[in-house]
Amino acid sequence: MKLITTLSIVCMIILGAAGQAAPADISSCLVCHNTMSGTVTTESGEKVNLRVDAAKFEQSVHGFMSCTECHKRFDENPHVAPSQAMPPEVAEMSEKVSAKAHVDPVALGACAGCHEEIYNEVLSSPHGENIVKKHERDGALCLDCHGSPHYIARADSKDSPVNHWKVVETCGRCHGDRELAAKYNIETNVLTSYTESFHGKKHHLGHRKAPTCVNCHGSHSIKRKDDPSSPVFAANKKQTCGKCHSGANDKFVAAITHKPVGPIPHYVEKGLILLTLGTFAFIILHVILEAYSDIRDSLFRKKRRSVKDESGKECA
Amino acid sequence: MSQEKNAPKNIPEEVERFNIIFRIQHIIMFTTFLLLSFTGWGLKYAEVDVSSWWIRVWGGPETAGIIHRVAGVTMLLDFTWHVLYIIYLFIKGRIRFDTRTTVIPLPKDVKDVIHNFLYFIGIAKTKPKFGRFNYAQKFDYWAVFWGMFIIGFSGFALAFPMVVSYIIPEFTTGWIWQVLAIMHSDEALLAIVFILFWHFYNEHLKPEVFPMSWIWLTGRISTEELKHKHPLEYEVIFQEGERGGKGALNAE
Repeated sequence: MKLITTLSIVCMIILGAAGQAAPADISSCLVCHNTMSGTVTTESGEKVNLRVDAAKFEQSVHGFMSCTECHKRFDENPHVAPSQAMPPEVAEMSEKVSAKAHVDPVALGACAGCHEEIYNEVLSSPHGENIVKKHERDGALCLDCHGSPHYIARADSKDSPVNHWKVVETCGRCHGDRELAAKYNIETNVLTSYTESFHGKKHHLGHRKAPTCVNCHGSHSIKRKDDPSSPVFAANKKQTCGKCHSGANDKFVAAITHKPVGPIPHYVEKGLILLTLGTFAFIILHVILEAYSDIRDSLFRKKRRSVKDESGKECA
Repeated sequence: MSQEKNAPKNIPEEVERFNIIFRIQHIIMFTTFLLLSFTGWGLKYAEVDVSSWWIRVWGGPETAGIIHRVAGVTMLLDFTWHVLYIIYLFIKGRIRFDTRTTVIPLPKDVKDVIHNFLYFIGIAKTKPKFGRFNYAQKFDYWAVFWGMFIIGFSGFALAFPMVVSYIIPEFTTGWIWQVLAIMHSDEALLAIVFILFWHFYNEHLKPEVFPMSWIWLTGRISTEELKHKHPLEYEVIFQEGERGGKGALNAE
């Protein structure tokens, strides 16, 4: 703690020296935060990692921005809060998402400064509703899917947790979580049924066009499956599947579902497994016994065999 | 070869067992079978890490998918060609039904299985006398038919789901797709196991044929081997003299 306090003081001196020029604060904040390690516990009991990797930050999509563009105001830390006017949309958003904010609700709301429309879509989705309306901490906002705020990568880059290859795992962090599933009555087999489906298998093998969660369910404006505006609502399935399978009809769209396997496929599978095992047992028994008899014959019955061969009949 | 001198003049040294058309059909069948097995295996066990590498060997999932579909359609066409060819030969009178040369399973085959097992364990002193196709070969042959109907049909449905969606009845939509996927994948596994253990043992690993029976390439079987392995067929050809050597064998 002592070290951090000392560093903070050093930072403030540098910050003060740098004056008011906005982008200058990147270098001044990072002088300290780039080299810090470990976590501190805030007054509210949150553990915060103070390290910001300057090089990684500059590579991120927000690398051009200054720290204070998001960290507009902070109450729970040793810094002197920069006094700047809070844009109304950010203030409003911060208020809405405060239940979710572990440390800095202003910074969490600050995304709205640029991404207000998408932010509102998320808040009106089941992911956001839980936070805004029920004031719960569970629910996904920007950072839960897009990763650490300082290193957000383009969605199509290889580092992004929402890229084509990682998004299933990212959704699965919550949708495969049994505790969350029990708390919110979420279906628990969505991940396994996806992995076992042709879509999931192809995706796992590296098929670039194999659909992931978001291709069918949408992303920011995601809806519950029984919401008529959901792309996977019964009446919308034809259109959604039709994005890839042109001409998709009612009988076709029934092929893909997260529903557990019904009794008919279950017993068909059991029957086929039985058939396979039965055939296998017969084959193995036959092969082993035949091999045994071949060995036996070549060792002990050579004479008789050759005698019968000479006579031209009854050859073994 | 040792019998060459003793053999009567009208009995040739070897006879044709499978004509060139059957041999081509067999080559297409096993080539497509191998391609389908290799690419399908990776998809069936996609969640295993090595599968991703294996599928990359086949050009990645997109290319492997194309290989699998092309091979599948080729195999179905090969099968159709075979069935039509058999019908053609039958109509032309080049093959006819005889209990000793038919590939159709008969009660004798069940007896042969029991008889052979008794021989294996030392109770029977001689092996059963087989016809043109012994029960192992009949099993091999009809396994392909079973595979074609189960794996072939379900594979076609999975490859062209839009076409098939118009055919399937409404009440089946709740389960038919899962059943098709299960049928395709589980029966493919059965087919691979069958080929690996049954066909490979009987036609490759068995001491008397190792490393393989060459009939698939030459189409010819020595008269001596014919007499040993297919004595009833030998009788049909040489002892009854019904159709005179090559003619009867040319076909089925």
